[in-house]
Formats: sequence, C-alpha cells, structure tokens
Amino acid sequence: MKKFDNLLERDFHIVEKRKIIFAIPLVIIFVAAVMMIIFNFTLGSPLNLGTDFTGGYSIDVKLGNKLTSANYDAYCERIKDAMSSVKTEDGEELSIRVDNMQMQGSGDSGAIHVKYYALKGVSEPEMISKVNPAIQSALEDSVLKIIPDTEIDGNKIYITYNDVLSEPAFADQRETFQKAIESLNEEHDAAIVLSEDEAQAIVLNADNKKQIIITCENSVNVSDALTEAITDVMKINDEYAGSVTQGDLVGATVSTELIFNAVLAVALALVFMLCYIGIRFQLSSGLACIIALFHDILIMFSFMAICRIEINNTFIAALITILGYSINNSIIIFDRVRENTKSIYSKEMTSEQVANKSIRETLLRSINTTITTLIMILMVAIIGVEDIKIFAFPIIIGLIAGTFSSICIAPSFWALFQRVGKNKKNFHIDSKPSRDKTDKKAKTAEIGA
Amino acid sequence: MDETTSLTEVAATKDPTERKAPADAQPTRKAVKKKSTIAKLAIICVLLMAGMIFAFCPMRFGFTKYSPFINSINLGLDLEGGVYAVYQATNTDTDNFESKMEGTRSALENLLVSKGYPEATVVREGSNHDRIRVEVPNVKDTSAILNIIGEPAQIAFVLDNTKETVLTGEDVVGAQAFYSANDGGYVVSLELTSEGEDKFYTATSNNIGQTMSIIVTIGGESTTISSPKINSAISGNAVISGGFTADSAEKLANQIMSGTFDVALELKESETISPTLGKNALKYGLIAGIVGFALVIAFICVVYRMLGVAASLSLLIYTVVYLFFLATLPWVQLTLPGIAGILLSIGMAVDANIIIFERIKEEYRNGKSIMAAYHAGFKKALFAILDSNVTTVIACILLMLLGTGSVSGFALTLLVGVLISLFTALLISRAFIRYFINLNSYNDKLYNLKRGTMYAGLSADSTDAAIAQAMQLEEDIKKQRKEEKQKEKELSRKAKVANKEKNKGGETA
Repeated sequence: MKKFDNLLERDFHIVEKRKIIFAIPLVIIFVAAVMMIIFNFTLGSPLNLGTDFTGGYSIDVKLGNKLTSANYDAYCERIKDAMSSVKTEDGEELSIRVDNMQMQGSGDSGAIHVKYYALKGVSEPEMISKVNPAIQSALEDSVLKIIPDTEIDGNKIYITYNDVLSEPAFADQRETFQKAIESLNEEHDAAIVLSEDEAQAIVLNADNKKQIIITCENSVNVSDALTEAITDVMKINDEYAGSVTQGDLVGATVSTELIFNAVLAVALALVFMLCYIGIRFQLSSGLACIIALFHDILIMFSFMAICRIEINNTFIAALITILGYSINNSIIIFDRVRENTKSIYSKEMTSEQVANKSIRETLLRSINTTITTLIMILMVAIIGVEDIKIFAFPIIIGLIAGTFSSICIAPSFWALFQRVGKNKKNFHIDSKPSRDKTDKKAKTAEIGA
Repeated sequence: MDETTSLTEVAATKDPTERKAPADAQPTRKAVKKKSTIAKLAIICVLLMAGMIFAFCPMRFGFTKYSPFINSINLGLDLEGGVYAVYQATNTDTDNFESKMEGTRSALENLLVSKGYPEATVVREGSNHDRIRVEVPNVKDTSAILNIIGEPAQIAFVLDNTKETVLTGEDVVGAQAFYSANDGGYVVSLELTSEGEDKFYTATSNNIGQTMSIIVTIGGESTTISSPKINSAISGNAVISGGFTADSAEKLANQIMSGTFDVALELKESETISPTLGKNALKYGLIAGIVGFALVIAFICVVYRMLGVAASLSLLIYTVVYLFFLATLPWVQLTLPGIAGILLSIGMAVDANIIIFERIKEEYRNGKSIMAAYHAGFKKALFAILDSNVTTVIACILLMLLGTGSVSGFALTLLVGVLISLFTALLISRAFIRYFINLNSYNDKLYNLKRGTMYAGLSADSTDAAIAQAMQLEEDIKKQRKEEKQKEKELSRKAKVANKEKNKGGETA
C-alpha cells in the first residue's frame, strides 16, 4: 500500500519520454499493417470479416414434426458435422463453416435455418452452381436419413435403428439392402457372403422391430472401415423428414448505410466534442483527446488484424463503448491540467511539468478505474460463451489502450501543442516590438538627420 | 517532523475557536444527528432491498403472481429469437433494381426502428438478391410481425367515370390511423408528396359530383375499400374512411406504408425463429455479471473501505435503476453484446466514485478535516465528472439520432447508463458518504485516509486551521509576487523614463 501511495510522489517524466512511448503504438500499428498485407495475399482478405459484413449463404433443412426442441441440438450437431465434410463430385473435400443455426417454425413447418460462410476464393456463381448443390445433397444424405448402429458378431450383423421399421417398408427395402451389402464385397475383399437361405439372409427382428439381422455364411472379420461402410449403406430414408432447400445467398446484415451513418455520427460527435472541450478546456486539450481516441481505435483494429479475430457487428458496439471510455479518460486528466494551469505555481512550470504533475495526480484514479472495468469485462471473457468472447476481446484491448493513451499520449500531445502555440505567440510578441523599435530608430535617425 | 508540530501549534494558537467543531460544542445535537442519520440510512437500505426484490425475485400475492421486472427486459434475436418473414420482390425487371432493392431494404429497417425494433435485422437474400428477409426480435407469433410490417398493400385512387388512376403508393409519404369525429370512426390519413397533392387537387376539382374508388391490392387481390362521392376540391391530405376499427385502420396504414417501398413486395413466408445462441449464453452472461460485480465491490471496499461501501451501495442502486429503465423503455432489445456492455458500464460507473474518492484522499492529505475533505472532494471532482460525461452524452445522442438499427439501440442503452451513473455517483454516493461521516468523523482509518507528511500531526476531525494556514501561505506568496511584479514594473518604468530622458537629452544636445 505504501509503495502504491508513493506513486503520487514520484515523477515518471512521462512527457519527456514521449519518443519511446509513441514508438510502442506505432510499432503495433506497423506490425498490424504488415500482417494485413500478408493476410491479404495469403488468405485473401486483410481483416477477418464475419458474415455480418460479407454476407453468406443459408440453407433450410425442413424436418417437419420430426423436429422438436428436445432433438434440435442433436440435429444441429449432425448438420455441423455433415457441413464440415461436404465433398464435391470430384471427391474434393470442402469444409463449410457454419455461422449459426436457428430453429424456424414448429410442427409441420419446423425447419433448421443454417447460415454458413462462403468458401474462401470461390466466386458467387460457383458457390451457387457447384458448392450449394453439394451441400444440399450431403445434408439430404446425412440428416434426412436414419443412421443405424451396426454391430458385427460372428456371422451375424445387427443393424439397429432408433425407430421402429414397418414390415412393408422393410419388404420394399430388402432387395436394395441385399444389393448394397453385396456391393461392399468388391471394396472389402469378399468379406461378407450372405446366407444361401435367402429367407434368412436379411430379416427384420421379430421381437425388436427396430433391428435388422443379416446372416452370413462365414463369420465376418470385424473392422472399423467395414462397420462404417455397412452403416452407410444401411441408412434409410426418414419417412417423416421433409427436404433440404437449395443453398441461398444471404446479404450482409451490416449494410454500408449503417457503417456510413455510424461514421458520420462519430465524425459529427468528434466535432461537437472538440467544440465542447475547446470551450470548457482548451482547443489543444480537445485535439489531444481526439488523437488519443484515434490511437485507441487503431490499436483495437490492429489487434483484430494481428490475431485475425472475426469482426462482426458486435465490434461496432465495442468501438462505440471504447469511444466513450477513451474520451472520458482523457478528460479526467485534462481537468487536472486545467486546474494546474490555473494554480499560482504554474507560471514557473513548463507545460511538460504541468502535464507530468497532472498525470501523477490522476494516476491512482486511472489505475483503479481500469481495474474495476477490467474485472467486469474479464469475467465476461472468462465465464461467457464463445460469441461473447469475440465481443470482450476488442474491449479489453480498447480499455488497456485507452488507459495507456490517456496517461502517455494525450498529455504529451497537449504539452507539445502548448509549446508550439507558445513559440508562435512568443515569435509574435518578440517580432512586433523589435520592428517598432527599428521603426523608431529609423524615425529618430530621420529627426536626427 | 519539527515543521509539522510547529504548524499544528501555529494553527492551535492562531485560531483556537475554530479548532472546535460546532457539533463538538453541542454533544446532544450530535447525538440527535447520529440517530437521524441512522434512520435515513436504514430507510435507504430498506428501499434498496425492496428495489432488488422487485427486480429479481418472483413473488406470489394470493392468486396473483408478480414477475420481477428483470424478466420484462426484452431480449434480442440472439438470446430469445422472434419471428422472421421473407418478402419477394415482384417487379424484378425494373430499372435500377439493385439500388431500388437496397432502398427498400433500408426503408424496411427504418420502419422497424421507428416501431421500436432497432435490433431487428433486414437482409437481402436469394440468388438474384430479390428477396428480403426480416427478423424481428421480441415478437411471439407471425401475426405480430404482420401487424408491424403488414403484407404490403398497393393503394390506388381511381376515378370511377374515366377509370383514371389519380394516386398510387408512390405519391404517399406516410399513412396514419386515427379517430376522426367528423367521419364518426377510425380513418387512415395519407400524407402526400407535393406532387401527389397537386394531382389530387386537380382531379378532385375537375370531377366534383363523381365518385372515386379507393382500391387496395394485397398479394394480387384487389378490393375496393370505399367509393366516396367528391363533394368539393380536396387539397392536402387524403383520408380513407370505410367503417374501420382501431385495429383494422392501423393495419391498413401499416400495409400502405410497406406498399410505398420502391419495390413491390409480396409476403412469401413467415415463421417463428429460435435464438441463434444456445440457452447457456444468457446464463453464463449473468453468472459473469454476478461474479464481476462481487469482485468490483470487494476491490473498492478494500481500497476505499467505508467510502467503498458507500460506492457499492450506490452501485447496487445504479444496477436496479438501470435494469428498471431497460425493462420499461421501448426500443430496448438486449443482445448478448448489449448485456456485456451493461456489465462494462457497471465497471465504468465506479469511475465517478473513484475520481471523487481520490480527491477526498488528496484533500485530507493536505490538511482538511474528513468532513471538509469530503465537501472539497465532491466540489472539485464535480466538473471533471460532468465534463467527461457530457462528451459521452454528445456521442451517444448523435449515434442515436444518426445511427441505424443496432447502433442507435446500443447508443441508447449507453446513454441511459451514463445518465443514471451520474445521478448515483453525484447524489447517492454523496448522501451515503455524508451519513457515514456524520456517524464517524474522527477515525480516518475507516475511510483509508492518510495525512501528508506536512500535516501528520493533525487529528482527523480537526477544523480547517491547517488549510487556513496553507491558504495564508498561498496568499502570502501571491502578495509577494504581486509586490515583486509591481517592483519590476516600477523598475522598468523608471528605466523607460530614464531612457526617454536620455533620448531627450540626446536630442537637445
């Protein structure tokens, strides 16, 4: 505690160290700029913009009555898995990233609305003509089918579904199953030879109507690949499930209009703030506040670029929050500056000394306020879900940048402006009388002559 | 050390009457003051408790259930879901379809904001970009969204004799439903463009005695609402009457409004939607809030002791009041980032308190009594706090007025937070601290206040003798400086005079 209190007594000469201090943000911004150029060439975009900005695609998986809030999460998992392993006709694997999913409607109209990202480097027509149909068929294949559990035990294979199969439906499918199983033999070295007694080869379990029993001549060599292959061919159509609509383009939720209006609002706000600060404080304080604000916003962007964190409309909210916080922080210091310049001792002090004194006097407040705000947002970042972390990260960066700029940057700039202003004034004051003097001298010389 | 003792001695000898606080002289008055202070504190705490119960606890009075107002805070699409509707553009082959579609999209967005749904999303979709998907939070069923946007209606005023169309949706700026005593019921009033007004006036003045049909087309189906007789030339707004109820008039007005978009839209489908985030998102957000709140309170109570306790109490009041406003204000739909923003605002609301406390510490360090330091601390911190918050308020108001959709919504919640935090820091914290100091104004450890080395010998409730001393010192310095300046001036004047004389002397010579 004692050490902490001593902070007030010590002068850190922050303003004098401005060359070193200004270098820190400049280096960060420079690194970010370089990274953005590199990302632009390697990954195709300098910033990682989310679907709020870039738009994306959506697909509706219509499941009708089958979809309940109880099995919604399980379906979402299946869709996510299926989307991440979509294959094109040429067998090329496309990992499609899902942005979010929503349950849409209920009862007959129940569907899952899936929003996903465009593939990097794939043009819009190509997405629509090639990728989206591939996604559609992949989803039809994996989500609209009932996937059984397969168990191989000696010469018997048990295929268990999670729903009862009706006798006629099974009878319809029997031949398909037989062909499918026999087709496996080509791929898997004749491992399965169905029982010669055709009536016994593939039957529906009489006791457990959810199960199909396949009997083979010889015992089957169990392997994961084979089990998987059998599961795959024994998938049956979900008779309740509806359809998958074709993937469709979705525009950006953050329109250019929104960004334009927000930038316009902020620009106007800066003008008004500058006027207010100019009236209540000095114009140089206002300019320093705005420089600090730009610093904070640039640092936030820099970290988003360097860490390649997805930028969504929550980032706009983060920027607005930091805008308020940053100006707030700088003003508290300039309030001290205002007070210290009015003080009788100030006449003997340079503007650097005034700035240093003000920094020192508000240092504890700056630190404590940063701690309380950081506690809150850190808790959100630690405890919250993934989406909120994306919001919390730029705010944490902004808070730290805001504290740094209000201590190290804004007062330094104020002192700088002050010095420049004074020099100008001094120049004026010095030059005028001297000219007068020379005039006078000239006059006296005339008179003298 | 010597210096400080001498200072206190000086203070003691210089003004012995001031050393005694007036309350000290009248112990009974002090006791009464203490009692009333305890009573006031108790009342505020009871009110705070009541506020918290109303905010957070569900209750049951007999058969009526009370739901805490935190439950009536509207949530955004990500946390609660809502309803979506897809509109299909019907006339895709017009010129400038792209820009017209974009105009329609933003018109829809503005319409939703004006109806109090800034968090609604309006997105274009479809391979030809020819559909608009609207998602509206905080709406429970599809009929509600139809009440807000309505199925776009194309309105037409047609002269019955010539079949000439006088007005269409393009001539309409706004449509409003209201009760008209003249017409004996609800009517829909159409605000027309100046061009529309001219057309309407010429058509009505040329066709007095004729009838004019008002035809509304919804989803390709046309209905004639009424065919009034033109009794005189009509200038200004057009009014549709036709036996409306309050609801049907409102609905038609909304439908006509959505029919005035640049692109004719047709409702394709509309359904409820679930939240985009899982159920845990809100739960963990609240847990984060509670844990963070507890840590912040622990921190300020450790650093500022009783001052911190005062700040914590006012912070609790801030939270309850803020939640109350969020629950009652329209235009608020909290999204997950919104909640994080509110949590952050709690951290920031402490700021004003910290500014004040640091000031009080400083004043006390420089020789004021606890009470005097409290007064001076608040007074000096006031402008810092006001100035810093005014700038934030400026930014918020501009973002609210000029921002679109979620930006204006976020700015509103921020603005409310700033205003409430000003109120709680400047009035409520202040009251609490005064009560605490009334109860104990002699133990500086309670407030974690320390004397500076110069004033180490001063007792905590000593009067302002020392500060008077310091002020005297300051005054002396000022005087001295004035004198010095005067001397300097005098000297320079003398020098000037001497110079002049010299010059004169030179001239005469």
